[in-house]
Amino acid sequence: MSPVLLYIIGVGVACGITTILAVLVVVADSTIANYGEVKITINGEKQLTVEGGKPLLGTLKEEKIFIPSACGGRGSCGLCKCKVLKGAGGYLPTELPWISEEEKKQGIRLSCQLKVKTDFEIEIPEELFNVKQYETEVTSLRDLTHDIREVTLKLLDPPEISYRAGQFIQFEVPEYELSDEPVYRAYSMSSCPSDPTRIELEIRLVPNGICTTYVHKYLKVGDRVIINGPYGEFFLRDTDADIIFIAGGSGMAPIKSMLLKMAEENNPRKAMYFFGARSRRDLFLVEEMKALEEKLPDFTFIPALSQPKPEDHWEGESGLITDIVERRVESGENKEAYLCGSPGMIDACVKVLKKMGVPEEKIYYDKFA
Amino acid sequence: MKQPPELIEAQKNMRPGIITRDGFLGTDDRNLIDILIEDDAIVKRLGLSHKQIAKRMRQLRTGGMKGLGDFIRMPPHFELMVETFRGKLPCPFGHPGIVRKSSITVKNTRLNREITYTDLSIHMIAAHGFYEGRGAPYRLEPKDLAEVLEIEPEPDSPEGD
Repeated sequence: MSPVLLYIIGVGVACGITTILAVLVVVADSTIANYGEVKITINGEKQLTVEGGKPLLGTLKEEKIFIPSACGGRGSCGLCKCKVLKGAGGYLPTELPWISEEEKKQGIRLSCQLKVKTDFEIEIPEELFNVKQYETEVTSLRDLTHDIREVTLKLLDPPEISYRAGQFIQFEVPEYELSDEPVYRAYSMSSCPSDPTRIELEIRLVPNGICTTYVHKYLKVGDRVIINGPYGEFFLRDTDADIIFIAGGSGMAPIKSMLLKMAEENNPRKAMYFFGARSRRDLFLVEEMKALEEKLPDFTFIPALSQPKPEDHWEGESGLITDIVERRVESGENKEAYLCGSPGMIDACVKVLKKMGVPEEKIYYDKFA
Repeated sequence: MKQPPELIEAQKNMRPGIITRDGFLGTDDRNLIDILIEDDAIVKRLGLSHKQIAKRMRQLRTGGMKGLGDFIRMPPHFELMVETFRGKLPCPFGHPGIVRKSSITVKNTRLNREITYTDLSIHMIAAHGFYEGRGAPYRLEPKDLAEVLEIEPEPDSPEGD
């Protein structure tokens, strides 16, 4: 027998044995292994007694404690981080891409990857205790542009949600012909929190996106949708500083929510809102934003087109949104900035705002961007 | 060709609905290892390496970022648009790290041809020599990349990588 053939057979046998052993471990872990009841202590106070053996993220979800996750626990979004003080073993290869060296020192782990096999002690932000799962019904679908759709959801169970303008929810896309299992995506609410019975979302169709394709091509009025939330630190700070809002595309959503809230409270703060779009067909809610100029004491809405077409007959601001901000804002002194849009736009805006003198800690944007 | 377990796992991750809606293999029913071997041979025949191709893709992406999502011109005859989206994607090969969701379009106005790729494409070409399967939405033919992005063999560059 030739050495090459012997080598191939050897490799084949080794692969086969490895595969069989791996399958046996998985089967044994899911059928034979019985971890019994284990305790999870949260923030040194709350104690849960749970059935061991499942991932921490799912175990907490069964106890109605929701840690943000955009991928449904597949380890592909890196959002479901929490601090584990006791119970977790070494880092798993599936966690490592998401965890920085600094986070390792703090014991930050990816909760979807950790199985609860022994008693755990964890720390999570207090506000996550207010996060709930809601069943909702789609009451309206409206195309705001050729690729942005407004979705209105009526809260069914529980019938009301309490949130701050600017926060986001997780939207569950059920199994459908393009996805074998439920997936979750984060979307900011564009509605005013004063009506707790319904929320609005503005969702842009992302090429090849599992969730956005579902929303744009499959979702119908009357469908039931499961959401959980609210989440996020992106909300208007209670200060006297002048406000610079900058958004593009579906980044309109949380800014609109903040402005509606400001209008309702007759907030006197000086605010400028720069909204960037490519051409007129990408602009939306312009009339609504202009109407807010009348309602708010000191608010200016500045829509800007980066590439207006001749047929747009555009007489407003043109060019890159960063250039327009630099041109229209005199200095960064006593200013706060709230940004929502594509990650590339946010990076560019942060750079410009810092150059203008806006302190980095006064520039706010969604971390999930 | 029989493929090692890590490629079997990677091929599972490439199915539609796992990492992206349409997956990475399109209508290609070959084993992943065969796709990799064939594309590697094509790249070598072009006198290029995967890293060289990825380097040029990255260079054009960096230039296009200045357009904040719109087309901008880049001498001598390119128009570039880089769109970035919320969220990140893991590499289907299980490679450490995560990659920003993006869409990078390069128009070569001299040839009147264009090509669209992603940050994940750049990573998969650089790290794994993977150009996706036939019929996949972001399948990149190495020959098209070389022509549209005008990638020339570097005199001192070893073939392949």
